[in-house]
Amino acid sequence: MTTTMNHPAAAAGKSRTPIIERLNIVTAFALGAISAFVVWRLALQFLPADSEVRLFTREDKITLLSMIAWFVGFMTGIGALVAPFRWVMGKDLSHDENMFLAGKDMGIKRYFRYTTDHKVVGIQYLIITMVIFGIGGILAMLIRANLGTPEGGLIHPQAYNSIVGTHGIIMIVGTIIMVTGPIGNFIMPIMIGARDMAFPRLNALSFWLIVAAAIPLIWAQFIGGISTGWSAYNPLAGQAPLGMNGYIMFICIFALSTMVAGANITTTVVRMRAKGMTWNRTPIFIYGVVASVALALPAFPVFFLSQVMSGMDRALDTSFYNTAGGGSGWLYENLFWIMGHPEVYVILIPAVAALMEMAPVFTRRPLFSFNVAVMGIAGISGLSILVWAHHMYISGWAPLLNAPFMLTTELISIPTGMLFLVLVGTLWRGRLWMTMPTLSIFALLWNFMIGGITGIYLSDVPADAFLHGSMYVTAHFHYTLMGAGLTGALASLVYWFPKMTGRMFDKKLSWISFWMVQIGFNVTFGGMFIVGLQGQPRRVEAYAALFNRGNLITSIGAAVIMSGMLVLLYGVISSWRHGVVAPMNPWHAKTLEWTVANPIPLENFAVLPVVTSDPYGYGKEKK
Amino acid sequence: MSVETHSHNAHHEDPDVVGSRNRLGVILILVADIAFALSMVFVYFYLRAQNVNDMWLPKATEEHAAIVAVSSSKAWTVTAIAAVGLLTHFYALKGARAHNDVQLKLGSLIALIASITAIYFQYNTFVTAPFTFSDGAYVSCFYLFAVMNFVHLALTVFISFGNWNRARLGLYAANVWHVDIVNVWWVWMVVSSLLGAFCLSFP
Repeated sequence: MTTTMNHPAAAAGKSRTPIIERLNIVTAFALGAISAFVVWRLALQFLPADSEVRLFTREDKITLLSMIAWFVGFMTGIGALVAPFRWVMGKDLSHDENMFLAGKDMGIKRYFRYTTDHKVVGIQYLIITMVIFGIGGILAMLIRANLGTPEGGLIHPQAYNSIVGTHGIIMIVGTIIMVTGPIGNFIMPIMIGARDMAFPRLNALSFWLIVAAAIPLIWAQFIGGISTGWSAYNPLAGQAPLGMNGYIMFICIFALSTMVAGANITTTVVRMRAKGMTWNRTPIFIYGVVASVALALPAFPVFFLSQVMSGMDRALDTSFYNTAGGGSGWLYENLFWIMGHPEVYVILIPAVAALMEMAPVFTRRPLFSFNVAVMGIAGISGLSILVWAHHMYISGWAPLLNAPFMLTTELISIPTGMLFLVLVGTLWRGRLWMTMPTLSIFALLWNFMIGGITGIYLSDVPADAFLHGSMYVTAHFHYTLMGAGLTGALASLVYWFPKMTGRMFDKKLSWISFWMVQIGFNVTFGGMFIVGLQGQPRRVEAYAALFNRGNLITSIGAAVIMSGMLVLLYGVISSWRHGVVAPMNPWHAKTLEWTVANPIPLENFAVLPVVTSDPYGYGKEKK
Repeated sequence: MSVETHSHNAHHEDPDVVGSRNRLGVILILVADIAFALSMVFVYFYLRAQNVNDMWLPKATEEHAAIVAVSSSKAWTVTAIAAVGLLTHFYALKGARAHNDVQLKLGSLIALIASITAIYFQYNTFVTAPFTFSDGAYVSCFYLFAVMNFVHLALTVFISFGNWNRARLGLYAANVWHVDIVNVWWVWMVVSSLLGAFCLSFP
């Protein structure tokens, strides 16, 4: 059933539909495409030819202007600008209009509009995360296919480079949003006893910005691709084909989305927790989500600026990174990694916190040392902004700072160890309820231990001189981001699936996919560690025969991961459609989201809850 | 987690609660903007200190005259105008708090005029600059500051127009937290403009 608003024109029998009702994903794409085309034609017609010799400047201007036009057109078409302009005109949205935006009684159409209900936004994030992982996974398989033989050659080298770069950046974005997007939006407000996010329209904005950002990245593939790797180092990026502009726009728009989401989630948690939910009674998952977005809030503007300057260098011939004009490649590296290292923890912390949230549920024990968990999250967050230059040891930038950065990087093992302690302490002598999330806790401990220990070698200056730029690095960060981060995210999906969809996730499929992904993962990146230690550089499309066996192992493992992910995808679709109807609290958990019925009402709670005890009081009644 | 319930009407939250929440949200968004602005300051002084290939301010060559830094007085002028806008907006806020409608309208109107004047001066700074984009690292930074301050001022004009229009329509009679939040924006706008002017004072 589709709701229409009770507006005066309708009451008077006129057929005029308010603009807010007419905007949706179709108008967004149409307006975006038309805007981009018009600006492209105008720019082609009127932009003067470059007066000085430079390879891409005019074409860069045209491409960037067209992409900006796409962005503005898309956001206008989806309805993001309606409320700000209504505010300026003094015509605030009415209650009916707000209900329309919330998607009340709108059925499936609400998923294709600028819907403000946090549960709809959560599902939208879930879908887009799955699409991102799907595309990123296919690109990974293409990479492995090309590396099937030492001489490569299956894919043109330029296309191969672009596949590597695109795989890298979209997987990074996918892992950034994989927990805070779907779970942070859908579950987090209910978990703290709120009716919605603090700023529902900003919530919708953060999601649709990601959709808007996707198109420039796809566009980039047709105009030269992203041949620089995901880090897009300058001045290399300044000399790369036009596709680099797609990367620049993608990052700028995604950074906006992250900033908006960060402000929204933090405000929601600080200001909208239920009565009685003191900080000591706030679930640890909430700490993880807030730490993640609070880290992203100051970090992503730096990335945004780095890309603005990259775009200016390309389109306007400025000299931020061009050494011939007084710029510096080190400047880019600093700006990039000032974002880049906190970003690792933006990905990791919510995933680990989600597993810490599940550990008491599946061991029927209180979380082991809640305060240590909070201190661990705070310690990682604080130290993560002081470690960025460990990515630059061998770049030649400030060698005197190598030792201090080595120290800060190795210090971060301490708060990370605290999180391990909390998980192990919670599992210790617990009555384990073996589910896929329970297995995931063990998987995280194993994978993150390997990722962490191999990271210590990379944080060590002499060892890094040998390992930097090798497949060892690639294996290491996959162990942390995928082995720990993705493991936590997949467990979150299975754990909160009953609340998000009203159906249980098929247990058998969750177990099959878990074992396939975990075994495949360890085979893949175990093989990659071997070739990395043997000296195979990363981001190459052909390699010496010496590395053949390790690469073969890696490719076999990658195929197993892909198969496991397909099983998981099938599990999501089949469970969502035909799964067992979930009871209100299938895990007998104690956090607030399990106190609301399925399907969750629009405003979550008929009456707001008052919290009177902590969320991990398992087993206490026996004392 | 033990839970009790109490009744609550979602649609009638206390305006002070809503205002406080919105104020925090704006401040957090400004945290992101502050990080952005401080990064620009870092870029400016980093490139100035590095002076790679002696190209911060290129010296004269056979093909090219020396690049001379522009006076920072124009940047300070824009900042001063923005500061006037802030003061008048603060005057409007005091009027709003005292339920003085005339003071609110007058203050917000003058703030709007100040923002338009400031953006005109910023535009003028941009178009009268005696160099082109490719004239070295200082020039790159100059344009970066100019463009970003222009964007800030454009947002300020948009917000100030809305603020004045809403004051004119009497929409602030019940609560004033909108005006309060606009004032937070004005404060940051002036500080960010000042940061730019400060940097450009050290060519």
